[in-house]
Amino acid sequence: MTVIILIAAPEGLRGHLTRWMVEVNAGVFVGNPSRRIRDRLWELLTNRIGDGQAVLVEPSTNEQRWAVRTAGRNRWRPVDYEGLILSARRPAHTQDRQSRN
Amino acid sequence: MADIWWKADPHDLHRLTDRVSSVYIERSHVDREDNAVLVINRRENVRIPAAMIAVVLLGPGTRVTHGAIRLLADSGTAVCWVGEQGVRLYAAGLGPSRSSGLLHRQAWLVTRPKERLNVARAMYAMRFPGEDVTKATMQQLRGKEGTRFKELYQEHSRRTGVPWNGRVYKTGDAFAAGDDVNRLFSAANTALYGICHAVIVGLGASPGLGFVHTGSAISFILDVADLYKAEYTLPLAFDLAAQGLTEERDARVALRDRIADTKLLSRIVTAIKALLNPPGTDFDTPETSALWDEHVGTVAAGTNWSAQDTHPATRSHLDLSPAALGEQHIAIVGPELKDQAPLPGQQP
Repeated sequence: MTVIILIAAPEGLRGHLTRWMVEVNAGVFVGNPSRRIRDRLWELLTNRIGDGQAVLVEPSTNEQRWAVRTAGRNRWRPVDYEGLILSARRPAHTQDRQSRN
Repeated sequence: MADIWWKADPHDLHRLTDRVSSVYIERSHVDREDNAVLVINRRENVRIPAAMIAVVLLGPGTRVTHGAIRLLADSGTAVCWVGEQGVRLYAAGLGPSRSSGLLHRQAWLVTRPKERLNVARAMYAMRFPGEDVTKATMQQLRGKEGTRFKELYQEHSRRTGVPWNGRVYKTGDAFAAGDDVNRLFSAANTALYGICHAVIVGLGASPGLGFVHTGSAISFILDVADLYKAEYTLPLAFDLAAQGLTEERDARVALRDRIADTKLLSRIVTAIKALLNPPGTDFDTPETSALWDEHVGTVAAGTNWSAQDTHPATRSHLDLSPAALGEQHIAIVGPELKDQAPLPGQQP
């Protein structure tokens, strides 16, 4: 199972995603797209997410059995702690900077 | 509408076997909103994951917009209009396949009597496992099939206790029979035709080039569906009638469950593959567009093949004026609207 979460996505992106997945609540998409289609959808999302944020959680063969991808501005970043995926945030007092896609 | 980034590439589309078989829509508007296929009715708005569905069955009381059909076609979803009580009216669709390889193969087989007979025999052989039908004539095969179905009717009637007074079926009015089993059987068959249609166009074959059936625009659909009636729709009709479930909806839903449980979509794909057996072609062949040449096979499309230099001056004979709407050309075009009034039930 794959879950995608979109925050502040530009117009048309959420609707587009509903052709492949079911939007179970605002901005939360669930589905079973194949690996190839996940990759292609993710490529589209990273190109078009703009100032919003996108998170994709997918099955994986690691110990946790899932992996996460993130894109967009000011996002929380997955950090690999010796094989364990955790999430890193910048401290609240740091300035909002444009992050790379 | 300049930037159509939402257009799906063939690689974005799930193969048919990975899709949900069908979604049935009734008494609703099907529209496009925010790049999604949206179903609107008085109760709710639902977005349809079109790229995950093989066929959308549109029942009575549906209204579909151009935008919705465009998205459905782009998603490789077949669309099938079904009438009152599930009579199949019309279907259209361009499946995920974008190549004509299988269609060529099908046309080649169907236009050669010897090849056609072999495919037809193979179709019957799938229904008589363990029997040698390689020498049988079409007449013998039809007879065997008739006998088989007569026995099946009796067998299921005994099994379920539902009386059977013969198959009553009138084309276009499948519900003339009056008894529930016949009606349920017809309704389930209609849904099965829709699904077979989706698989056939999904693979890029033609619904019209049948081997056993001929003459109808859906001959090949009827051929393929006949492979599965004994196993799927017939027992289903008796089961439902025995349980007092006599709505056509019951037939559709039960069939869909059974299709999912038994992975019928993959089975149909495998069967068509085996029957048409296109040597060395893959069903996921990418779209190739070329120009045919009688000596070298194909040459590249999208190229100007004029021997002279394609200087604009040499093309001055082209009529580049906009198409004139002469008296020969009748079109009905609505006025342009300043603001689109929201549909009832649609949030502005």
